[in-house]
Amino acid sequence: MNPNALIETYVSDVVRYLPRAQRNDVAFELRSLLQEELEGRAAEVGREPDTSLVMGLLTGFGRPVEVADRYRPAGFTVIRPSEAPRFARVAIGGVLVQWILTLAATFSRPSDLDWLSLLGAWWLPWGLGAFWWPGLLVTLSLIAGFVHSRREAASEWVPARDIVRDRDQVRRGVFVLYLALGVVGASIVCAVPSLPIWGSGLPAPLVTALTLDQVFLATRAPWAVVLWVASLTVGVVILVAGRWTRATRRVSAAFDLAWIALLTWWIAAGPIFTREYANEVTKGCLVLVLIVILVDLVIAVRRATRSIRTPRVA
Amino acid sequence: MVATPKYEQDLRKGVLVLAVLSRLRTSQYGYSLRLALAERGMPIEEGTLYPLLRRLESQGLLRSEWKVDTGPPRRYYVVSADGASLVDSLTASWGELTSVMDRLLEGQDQ
Repeated sequence: MNPNALIETYVSDVVRYLPRAQRNDVAFELRSLLQEELEGRAAEVGREPDTSLVMGLLTGFGRPVEVADRYRPAGFTVIRPSEAPRFARVAIGGVLVQWILTLAATFSRPSDLDWLSLLGAWWLPWGLGAFWWPGLLVTLSLIAGFVHSRREAASEWVPARDIVRDRDQVRRGVFVLYLALGVVGASIVCAVPSLPIWGSGLPAPLVTALTLDQVFLATRAPWAVVLWVASLTVGVVILVAGRWTRATRRVSAAFDLAWIALLTWWIAAGPIFTREYANEVTKGCLVLVLIVILVDLVIAVRRATRSIRTPRVA
Repeated sequence: MVATPKYEQDLRKGVLVLAVLSRLRTSQYGYSLRLALAERGMPIEEGTLYPLLRRLESQGLLRSEWKVDTGPPRRYYVVSADGASLVDSLTASWGELTSVMDRLLEGQDQ
């Protein structure tokens, strides 16, 4: 094989991993340097450049993708090594939970299909579909990682002791998960009004049971969308800042109060679904949600007002 | 068994930038720089050195230009003003570091 052709192929493999603007210049220089290296080695061993010499040179130089990495400046970390095990558990765990639930639902439903056909029918929408969860986590981690890399360059180191005492510090991993779950929950609820359109494959009684009351849909439901968008915006602001501030705590408490008011209105003001039993179950769940929000609000207020107590001295 | 070559490699990695910048007070192209460093007992793998030159240039520590001297066109590198001041600063740090390490390795107290 022609040594120059091998070098040419190698150089092409390296530069295709580089930014387009850099490719030609790096390729020209790298090819020239490799040719000189090859001539140098050939002179050392006292023979003409051949395939074995050029292969020795190129394998020693490294795999093209690794060489291209060396040409690039260091990027930012998407998932920190310390957070990787937890990230993997949450990502894979989320997929497994979806698989277990959807498999159980698929195989418990009466059907004339054999198990292999059922498995095939499950795989495309639910089996593969479950991978939206790791995708969402990676996307949120990308945003958080990019923002964090900017902040790291600008901010100074904070002593670890203060971080332990600092209740305003946001645990990014947990917060990303919290936001992701919020987005998922809001998306599911927002999809309910159009259930007859996208849920044609679902059992008819379920679709009927989940038909929303038109008055509720027109008057009380839109406020939830407004509150979700506002809450999510504040959540992203907190994630970007990396910590709670007095302002974000106050806004968050105000949103808690708004949710309490809205949910109380929903429960008290009339039907949510057209079917009575669906109404009763939903309102029962809403009462539970109300309790959770109230507890969250009380904890937030206690944290904001709690002072450091003087220890008992003997 | 302790992987000595890996630790030696890590040790050399720390002084790579200083070694390269120190030889580029006068302009050189990649291959000639590698030979010059190897002759002075600092062999650096081609796959490490050539990308490093580009990275140092992108950080403003080196300047480069294409020249035709003897043979094909070559990209010549030379330290910039920032690079020269970094060499001075790193040289001073290196001096302090070697004296500290000498004392540590000889087991003397400061």
